[in-house]
Amino acid sequence: MDHSGKGHRMTRINRRALLAAPALAVLPRVALAQADQRPSITIAVQKVSNSNTLEPLREQSNVGERVFLTSMWEGLLGRDYSSQLETIPMLAVENRRISDSVVEFKLRPGVKFHNGDELTAEDVAFSFGNDRMFGPNGPNSGSTIRVGETNPTNSGKELPVEVPAVANRSFPGFEKIEIIDRHTLRWINRTPDVTLEGRLARIGSEIGSRRGFAEAASWLDWSRKPVTTGPYKVAEFRPDQSLTLVAHDEYWGGRPPIRQIRFVEVPEVSSRVNGLLSGEYHFACDIPPDQITGIERNAAFEVVGGTIPNHRITVFDKNHAQLRNPLVRRAFTHAIDRQAIVDSLWAGRTEIPKGLQWSFYGDMFIADWSVPNFDPAEARRLLREANYRGEPIPYRLLNNYYTNQVGTAQILVEMWRQVGLNVQIEMKENWSQILERSPTRAVRDWSNSGLFSDPVSSLVNQHGPNGQQQQVGEYANEEFNRLSSELETSTDRARRRVVFQRMLVIAEREDPAYTVLHQNATFTAKRKDIRWKAAPAFAMDFRAQNWGA
Amino acid sequence: MLRFLATRLARALITIVMVVTFAFVVLRLSGDPALLIMSVDAPPEAIAAFRASWGLDDPLWQQYLKYFTAILHGDLGRSMRDGRDAIALVAERIPATLALTLPALAIKLSIGIPSGIYAALHRNSLTDRVVMGLAVLGFTVPSFVLGLLLVLVFAVQLGWLPSGGQDSWRHAILPVITLGAGGAAVLARFTRSAMLEVLGQPYIRTASAKGVPWRAVVRNHALPNAAIPTVTIIGFMVGSLIAGAVVVESVFSWPGVGRLLVVAVANRDLAVVQCILLLVAGTMVASNLVVDLLYGALDPRLRQARAGGAA
Repeated sequence: MDHSGKGHRMTRINRRALLAAPALAVLPRVALAQADQRPSITIAVQKVSNSNTLEPLREQSNVGERVFLTSMWEGLLGRDYSSQLETIPMLAVENRRISDSVVEFKLRPGVKFHNGDELTAEDVAFSFGNDRMFGPNGPNSGSTIRVGETNPTNSGKELPVEVPAVANRSFPGFEKIEIIDRHTLRWINRTPDVTLEGRLARIGSEIGSRRGFAEAASWLDWSRKPVTTGPYKVAEFRPDQSLTLVAHDEYWGGRPPIRQIRFVEVPEVSSRVNGLLSGEYHFACDIPPDQITGIERNAAFEVVGGTIPNHRITVFDKNHAQLRNPLVRRAFTHAIDRQAIVDSLWAGRTEIPKGLQWSFYGDMFIADWSVPNFDPAEARRLLREANYRGEPIPYRLLNNYYTNQVGTAQILVEMWRQVGLNVQIEMKENWSQILERSPTRAVRDWSNSGLFSDPVSSLVNQHGPNGQQQQVGEYANEEFNRLSSELETSTDRARRRVVFQRMLVIAEREDPAYTVLHQNATFTAKRKDIRWKAAPAFAMDFRAQNWGA
Repeated sequence: MLRFLATRLARALITIVMVVTFAFVVLRLSGDPALLIMSVDAPPEAIAAFRASWGLDDPLWQQYLKYFTAILHGDLGRSMRDGRDAIALVAERIPATLALTLPALAIKLSIGIPSGIYAALHRNSLTDRVVMGLAVLGFTVPSFVLGLLLVLVFAVQLGWLPSGGQDSWRHAILPVITLGAGGAAVLARFTRSAMLEVLGQPYIRTASAKGVPWRAVVRNHALPNAAIPTVTIIGFMVGSLIAGAVVVESVFSWPGVGRLLVVAVANRDLAVVQCILLLVAGTMVASNLVVDLLYGALDPRLRQARAGGAA
């Protein structure tokens, strides 16, 4: 009886269990979903990554910065995205100068990588080591690996040739990392460098997991799914299509507020805006200023954002027949009504900076400096003095590589014409054509970024002897070059400030290499009910302190 | 017949070699891949290292010779952006493009041909004018304008369909309609013209005069003779299946061959561009060959002429 009764009961229970099985199978997921109430968001961007990698040493771009800085990659030091990008502690809680060429760092305890490992000094040594950064020949080897039968970016762990080149430019005097203990290390430079702390907050100085790199099948695999410490980790990266990040719940800065962030590539502005308005995207990036009013006409949406650490400049080739005389270049700089450009093309949403510098330079920021004032009379006087008689001056122009580029160029040409400068636009298709050395190269556009908290990051890197403008043969000035070298190597902070000020005088006034037009800006459209603050940079900050604030 | 095929294949090979050479010269002379891929703001050392590593410093003729030799060995090269094999990169985009272009081709054929025939058979009627009016509209409105209009109506205003992406079959509806509408309009116009021309021929009048039912006249005499120009257009459409959706893929953020081509050209990523061009040229040449063979099947006079020429 017992047996049969038990068996009967068993049968009934099993039948119920059988009926309930599908529901039970679903239960854990439902429970999990209920437990994780965090939102998932979709962000439409023009481009996720130019190089189709997520490795900052390869993807040194604004678009890359947007998806991986603050979200994925973190360095020993970082930048304060809630303020004006000042250098702040990140994975290191303490940094102490031992000498002009040595800095000691104490790592933040309890930092977990996406693979669960704890961050140690070994990971820092790996991150600045030959395997990840400098290649087999070490820092400053100056050698180039030729692409041969096997591709260095596709098989094995060989670095793409650009990575050591970028690393050597970013950390020119680096010698080694000395591990003191599990959480203490020293950065040792071959040469004194007062800019080290700034350099260690710049893009390319981020820390990756040593084990994560070792376990990746190839460098390409690593670069597309790097193991880092940031609040979000890569779930899926589909090159030229989308990047999906998911919350790294062991993040040292607290549980991330968003469950999943999906960046989707939508190349057309109108498609990004339409997707936002139809509710498919929560954010639409890279919105041109002339679209802002149209979007904000809908009360449910707003456009946020503003200036980024990047200045739009007009560059001169002082070897051009009409530009050899610095008086003519000076006339160019005084003929520009910069405020009119900001008001008409940028709806007043950007600023005219104090020359090629940023306030996050701290002590090196020259607060009483300014761009040449708008003075058409002075421009005309300079042209008379230079004996300029209206000879044509070519202006090589790209079709809106920069936001508002063509509109700005047309306004500039008209402003220059008003003072007597005969500038003629020549449309070009790409940068090779813009930079091509020939007697017709005279005026062009460019933008310069402040990659870290020192003028070496901009004025020296872009316009100094090893910077692009001199490398392509547009500019040289003996005193400027001597001062560039002094600014890079001097440890006398007071003297460095004097040197920088003098360099600004040369490059922006006496013998203009360029003239600053305005600060660049980036705009992001979003639903108004999402409480999120845009950083003064391309990086989109989705950490807890900036979500729902 | 064999001689005909051999001639056609020889012409096809010459066409492909010309396409490859032209694309190489144009892409190499019009931009430096190092500056475009690394960006103008990259450190000069990085740009120099990139150029050296990919052999971009070599004389152009050397680069061409190396490239052409590699093609003859079946090696189409690697993408300069991420080092991946160009063939693999292109191959993984083909299904996405075909997911748009094949249904669009079906729309073109199923709407374009019947409406063209119907309009021709009801020449100068209201229906004819409406059909041809719509055809002119579909023919003249650029695909990016039509695409954006459809998005505004069906995604933004009505919220029925997604505005872009490739997450589900619903995402394909608007791009397929955009692609299909223009092609259907072209086919309708060509079919109508061809039918009108044939319907005016003496043998149509003769058949009617002999008492052959009108339906039979149309089916047996008009349609086969009107098919030749229509088949030519369809051949072009089939030939552009691989790269015929460049604009639509951009408007709808559809990750197919067209978008890959845009990115690759912008970056002067030669191996990828060449791989796509070879694929397109190959498809177009194959499609034209099939069309030529179909001419013979459709028109016995052509078949006999070829046979006579070969004899």
